[in-house]
Amino acid sequence: MVRRSIAKRSSLEPRTRIDAAAREEHRFAYLFVLPAVALVLVFRIAPLFWGFVLSLTNSNGVSHADFVGVANYVAIARDPTFRDAIANALILIATLPVWVLLPLLIAILIHAGVPGSRLFRAVYFFPAVLSSVIVGSIFNVLLRYDGSLNAFLKDLGLAPVDWLGAPATALGSLIAVELWSTFGMSVLIFLAGLSTVSKEMLEAARLDGAGLWQTWFLVVIPSLRPIIEFVAVVTTIGVLTSMFGLIYVLTAGGPGTATTLPEFLIWLEQGKMNQPGYAAAISMVLFLLMGGLAWLQIRIMSRNANL
Amino acid sequence: MTVAGLRERAALWLLAIPMAALALSCVYPLFFAVNNALKTNKAYILDRFGIVAEPTLQNFVQAWQRSHLDAYFLNSVIVTVGAVALLLIVASLAGFALACLRFPFRRLIFIIILAALMIPVQVVLVPFYKTIIGLGLLNARVGLIVSYTAFFLPFSVYLMTAFYSGLPHELVEAGRIDGASLGQVWWHVMLPLGKPALITLAILNTLYCWNDVLISLLVLQKDRTLMVGIAALKGEYTTNVPLLTAGIIIAALPIVALYVVFQRRIVTGIAVGAVKG
Repeated sequence: MVRRSIAKRSSLEPRTRIDAAAREEHRFAYLFVLPAVALVLVFRIAPLFWGFVLSLTNSNGVSHADFVGVANYVAIARDPTFRDAIANALILIATLPVWVLLPLLIAILIHAGVPGSRLFRAVYFFPAVLSSVIVGSIFNVLLRYDGSLNAFLKDLGLAPVDWLGAPATALGSLIAVELWSTFGMSVLIFLAGLSTVSKEMLEAARLDGAGLWQTWFLVVIPSLRPIIEFVAVVTTIGVLTSMFGLIYVLTAGGPGTATTLPEFLIWLEQGKMNQPGYAAAISMVLFLLMGGLAWLQIRIMSRNANL
Repeated sequence: MTVAGLRERAALWLLAIPMAALALSCVYPLFFAVNNALKTNKAYILDRFGIVAEPTLQNFVQAWQRSHLDAYFLNSVIVTVGAVALLLIVASLAGFALACLRFPFRRLIFIIILAALMIPVQVVLVPFYKTIIGLGLLNARVGLIVSYTAFFLPFSVYLMTAFYSGLPHELVEAGRIDGASLGQVWWHVMLPLGKPALITLAILNTLYCWNDVLISLLVLQKDRTLMVGIAALKGEYTTNVPLLTAGIIIAALPIVALYVVFQRRIVTGIAVGAVKG
């Protein structure tokens, strides 16, 4: 689309003026993208390469560092904390169907016109605008052992549960709180997708005698496929990279390593300051995990931006 | 109405019940926080769930003054305003060039900026921290402003590029025929035209900057921003829930206000940004 309009314009201009004008256009264009490119290069792309180089050294942050090859990677593969973090991440990713299907179901119900659906849409999204620190602090008060939920359970005559302090429930509690605070975002994305499902196709299905369920499963869900893919990818990236704040205030990675996810482990290792190479190696593993996912996201995004 | 239609309506009313329960769960924690922030600590210990009987603003005053939330609040405001302004300028400049101008490596540059999406701060934590120290930006508000801009930029550039490439090209051309330089076209034509997208980005980036904790923890280790302050408050006042919840309300209030005022714009902005661009 961009290219087409540019071609149309150039053909209207006299040839001689094009060269000077084009050079000026180039100069301005580079000037305009320079701040964006510089920021991204200095703070993200260069550090990525620097991190990769660091991960191959035995740097201790103070004295001279030697090249040690993949020694850091071998070391993290043997590190039980790292293995726990990866295992926790896999458990988290295994819950992905819930993160996709629950918002999809809710979006379908809102779209079908459940009474009060406009209000529901606004309210469901509300937790997503709150900082993970706010959400985490409130749920810390609610879920900790002497917290409100247990006081409530006691009033009902039930035994208290150490939601955040017991290895068996801590990760589940963390995942549930994150799901609670972000599902509204996916509901919104699905609703935007649902509004584009063609009315004619729905009408045709109805005329062909398709029931409500058939219409949903044979017409609506298939036409939502790109949106479902998108939500799955964005959610996976989100749970791998945006739970730091929640972990930081809710469980601090514990008990033990029960809620230590890779991103939090990197933070812990970084904080020790004595082996940046080791922390950088963990970062690289997270990057590989992320890279594939983000590549999918960029493909979806650039397909949609018409560039 | 047909029998089937009636049954459908009845089913929808039934389904509204669990959905209403879910909606209540989305606002209850905030209600819980407000309710308890208005109690004295003693009143809270005696009755956690009851509606506050004698509301007091004591906790808010104490959180604001004694726990230094006033200073943290100011820090957050300065950093958020600075970062959002910088983000809008940088993103609209880049979006203008990428969408409306023709130059070598245009596509490659767009891909490089988008590729930064693949590099969240956790992935570059150690070298990013070293870069901040190397540039002398540690513990400087401007360091956090620049960091936020770098980390929230790709989506903003993407949105501005998509928005500008959807505009009729004649608008840009009209500006240039008047003999204006491209810089003037950007200032007088593209910025005003980009207003809908820029407002959406301003709101979204305000949310991201205000709510961030990880980058802030790294870059501003002396002057805390509000979210870092709240996280610390949580550690210091585990037994004084009313004080903690008062701090939480102070920190959440600007965002809640933003959401109430711009709810429609936030909702469409996020959905559009995610799906269509």
